[in-house]
Amino acid sequence: MSKGPLLEVKDLVVHFPIGKGQFVRPVDHVSFSINEGEVLSLVGESGSGKSTIGKALVRMIEPAEGSILVGDRDVAHIRGREIMAYRRDAQMVFQDPFGSLNPTRTIEQHLAFPIRKHRTNRSVSVDKQIDELLEKVGLTPVSETRRKFPHELSGGQRQRVAIARALAVNPKFIVADEPISMLDVSIRAGILRLMNDLRRDLNIGFLYITHDLASARYIGNRIMVLYGGKVMETAESGELIKYPTHPYTRLLLTATPGNRQRGPLPETSNSAPNLLEGRVGCPFANRCPLVSDVCRTQDPPLVETSAGHSVACHHPA
Amino acid sequence: MADNNQPVLEIEDLSVAYVTPSGLVSAVNDVNLSIYPGEIVGLIGESGSGKSTMAYTIMRLLKGDAIVTKGRVKILGQDIYKMSRKELREFRWDKMSMVFQSAMSALNPVMTVETQIVDALQAHRKGMSYREAVARAEELMDLVRIDRKHLKSYPHELSGGMRQRVVIAIAIALEPSLVIMDEPTTALDVVVQRSILDEIKKIQEQVGFAIMFVSHDFSLVAELASRVAIMYAGRLIEITPSELLHLGEKHHPYTEGLLRAIPELTADEVTIQGIPGYPPDLQDLPSGCAFHPRCPYATDICRQVRPQKLKVEEKLIECHLFSEKEAVEHV
Repeated sequence: MSKGPLLEVKDLVVHFPIGKGQFVRPVDHVSFSINEGEVLSLVGESGSGKSTIGKALVRMIEPAEGSILVGDRDVAHIRGREIMAYRRDAQMVFQDPFGSLNPTRTIEQHLAFPIRKHRTNRSVSVDKQIDELLEKVGLTPVSETRRKFPHELSGGQRQRVAIARALAVNPKFIVADEPISMLDVSIRAGILRLMNDLRRDLNIGFLYITHDLASARYIGNRIMVLYGGKVMETAESGELIKYPTHPYTRLLLTATPGNRQRGPLPETSNSAPNLLEGRVGCPFANRCPLVSDVCRTQDPPLVETSAGHSVACHHPA
Repeated sequence: MADNNQPVLEIEDLSVAYVTPSGLVSAVNDVNLSIYPGEIVGLIGESGSGKSTMAYTIMRLLKGDAIVTKGRVKILGQDIYKMSRKELREFRWDKMSMVFQSAMSALNPVMTVETQIVDALQAHRKGMSYREAVARAEELMDLVRIDRKHLKSYPHELSGGMRQRVVIAIAIALEPSLVIMDEPTTALDVVVQRSILDEIKKIQEQVGFAIMFVSHDFSLVAELASRVAIMYAGRLIEITPSELLHLGEKHHPYTEGLLRAIPELTADEVTIQGIPGYPPDLQDLPSGCAFHPRCPYATDICRQVRPQKLKVEEKLIECHLFSEKEAVEHV
């Protein structure tokens, strides 16, 4: 897969006002790129900023600083019509397939809307495109599915409709925000495999947001571990699982169920990271078993320790 | 203390159904399960498999439209469906308690943690003074490793993990023989989940109560429990010691499918395979074995006859595959 970057994010900062002139910064100088047909897994706990990055990427929110280069165009601060046009490139699949579909519309209507709105290829009828989409995501028999309402479908089927809807505009990349965490175990694998097929066959880039390292590793070419809005560690998936160097990554790995080699969990507090703008030091410092004075006073820079493996830590293993 | 051979919980031929306008919908079907003192048993199933209904049935917490159509639930030898309201009220929480999934709604938002623990203690221990109850509350906080100062906190002042610890503290306050945990860590982050599970295990070893741990997370239950019961469409289709819960062993095709469906974290090569199809509609269950439409090994008999439970090595499996195989081996 030698494709150029589809998308390049540089020093992305998102902040939200919390009154009295103060801001929280759920995303703090995050940089990454996604290639065509590549899946980047974003892993972190709740509050790590992973969903905020996803929303900034499809421009549901506007970043405060930094750039989002799609091709050679910076979409970080586009507005109005330009955002509408940008949605043809960037789509999103949400966590909750029960909340993301309109209960009063049929599946057909769900798919016809984006097709009509962003129609580029008028030689194929909308009807035919709907059939193709449903077939692509494995919702057959198509004629039956088209007429159904969301409540007639199971969670897994609904998530397939959500994916079909994202595909309707032929996007270059899709942000998938915990697409399987609300689904049953036996259904999850099917959705992951579907995403994998789409990546391979349609060359779509994915940003896969999750808190589960095992699925991140399965679907992602690379994994990026976030904590407190900052990148802690990023590497090729297999490498990250095998040779984690950041104390937070190692904590996550130890905590993940099914990890048979795990030792005991190190004694750490479970306090939430400080997200206030103007904080200093490593966000993980107050939970880190290896913490020293420098961690509380200086932000560790993200340093490449081996090819493609970067870590932001003063005391990497 | 009961001797080790008497189960804490005995479920015999239990069937539970919901009353709906279109008739009875059976959610739990002919379930048999015993849990012994000090044992942790995992109950696994997908949504709609009946696992939560079963947990609520054991606590006799079923709402008006759900009825026990058959069978018995005995705790410490006593049939809880034969108890009067008063007996049940005294029995519940004293001998069996439950940890619910959502810690926020299990706690009263306008009462401090202390008040809630003291309340549970004094309701059941008539002679207990306020001072004694507070002392016990402090002990419990130490046990679940929360700073004692949080006794004065309200639930909203605590993090999700701390709230769930408080709920666990209340559940074990009266030293029950059986604690039912209904997905107690599902809403929590992995690190918090791990530390709570480690604590549950530690406390359980210290205090010695039995746990029925309801979950949909296979790898988590396999690590925590000593036995795992797997539910599909209201039936227990397999009961297996958790150390045998891997692909090298003989399993029910559904168990096997679930095992294949989870990406393994540390394996060199990761391949996963979902189970085709979707979980069945309880209103319209497939004939014979309910799993047959999704089963790769299904044959004619699976479509017609419901399989019996069979002992396969140390496991109990409900599948025609094994009756046939076993028969072949015997010939």
